Amino acid sequence: MSKALKPLIVIVLAVAVAAGAAVYLSRQPDQPAETSAATTRADVVAFKGGGRIRGPENAQLTLVEFGDYQCPSCGAYHPLVKEILTRYPQQLRLEFHHFPLISIHPNSMMASMAAEAAGEQGHYWEMHDALFEHQREWSDSPNAEPIFVALASRFGLDTNKFMQGLRSPDLQARILKDVTRGNDAHVEAVPTFFINGEQVHVKLSMEDFVQVIESHLHK
Amino acid sequence: MKTRSVVIAVLAFVGMIDALYLSIKRNAGPIPCHVTRGCTDVLTSKYSEIAGIPLSWFGLAFYLVIFSLAVFTIFEDPKQPLQQLTNWIFYLAGAALVVSALLVGIQAFILKAFCEYCLLSAALVLTMFLLTPHPGRR
Repeated sequence: MSKALKPLIVIVLAVAVAAGAAVYLSRQPDQPAETSAATTRADVVAFKGGGRIRGPENAQLTLVEFGDYQCPSCGAYHPLVKEILTRYPQQLRLEFHHFPLISIHPNSMMASMAAEAAGEQGHYWEMHDALFEHQREWSDSPNAEPIFVALASRFGLDTNKFMQGLRSPDLQARILKDVTRGNDAHVEAVPTFFINGEQVHVKLSMEDFVQVIESHLHK
Repeated sequence: MKTRSVVIAVLAFVGMIDALYLSIKRNAGPIPCHVTRGCTDVLTSKYSEIAGIPLSWFGLAFYLVIFSLAVFTIFEDPKQPLQQLTNWIFYLAGAALVVSALLVGIQAFILKAFCEYCLLSAALVLTMFLLTPHPGRR
C-alpha cells in the first residue's frame, strides 16, 4: 500500500463515521427530529386551560405554541404560523402560551404583559402580531415600555389602561401559569409546538408546516 | 509530535461531528440546549451565517482540513517529518481561535444567549491550538 494511501483511507473512513454519528445524534428522541412530521413524545399532553385561542372553537386540530416574544426564532416562525392559519381556516386553530425566557430575554416578560394588557381591551392578537413584527425595534431596547405603548396607541387602545396592565399582578400571574404549563409539558426551547397534544417539530419552511398539518389532518 | 497529532485528530473528529450535527439540525426546528439556554436563538441569529452559508459548514471544512493534516502527520516518515503540515495546523487553529473568540463574544454580549455546541467547538479549537507547537519553537 502506498504511503499516501493509508492516511487517505483513514480520512475517508473518519468522515463516513462522523457523518453517521451526526445523523444518528440528530435523530435521537427528545431532540427535534430530522423528519419534521415526527412526534417525539409518545404521551399526549393535555393542556388544561390557559392560552389565547385564534381560530374556530370546533377546529379539528389545535396547534399549541409555547413562545417568547423576544426570541428571534419565534419571530421567524410567526409569519409561518399566521400563514398556516389562513390556509386551514376551518380545520386549525392556534392556542398560544407564553413562555418568556427571562434569563436571556430581559424584555420578554414585559412583552407578554403588553400582549395581555392589549388583550384586556380586546386587541390581544393585534399586539401579538405587532410584537413579533416589530421585534427588532424593542428587543434590545433598555426601555421597551414606550415602544409597547406606541404600538398600543396604533390600535386605538386606552394607553393609561394599557400601562396599568403592564404592571398588573393578575396578568403576570396568567403568564406565569402558562410558564408552569410549559414546564409541565417539558418545554425545553421556544417555540415549541404541539398538535392535539403531540409535540411536533416543524422546519422553518411553509412546505414543511403544510406537511405536518396534512399528516395530522389525515390521522 | 505523533501523540499530539493523534489527540488533534481526535479533537478534529469530534469537531466534525459537532459541525455536521449543527448543519443537519439547522432549520429543522427548535434546537433544545441541555447545558445552556438559547441554542435556537444563537443558531438562527443573523450571525449564524455568512452570505447565506451557515457557519457550521465553515466549521466542518476547518475540522476536515485539520483532521486530514493531523492524519498525514501521524503517518509521516520519521526520517522526513512533514514540518510544514504542523505549521499549517498551528496557523489554521490560530485563525479559528480568533473567529471562535469573536463568536463567543457575540453570544455573550450581543445575543446574550449561549449555544453549547458552539462553546464545544470553541473549546476544541482552543485545545488544538495549545497542543500544536509554535513553528518557531521546534
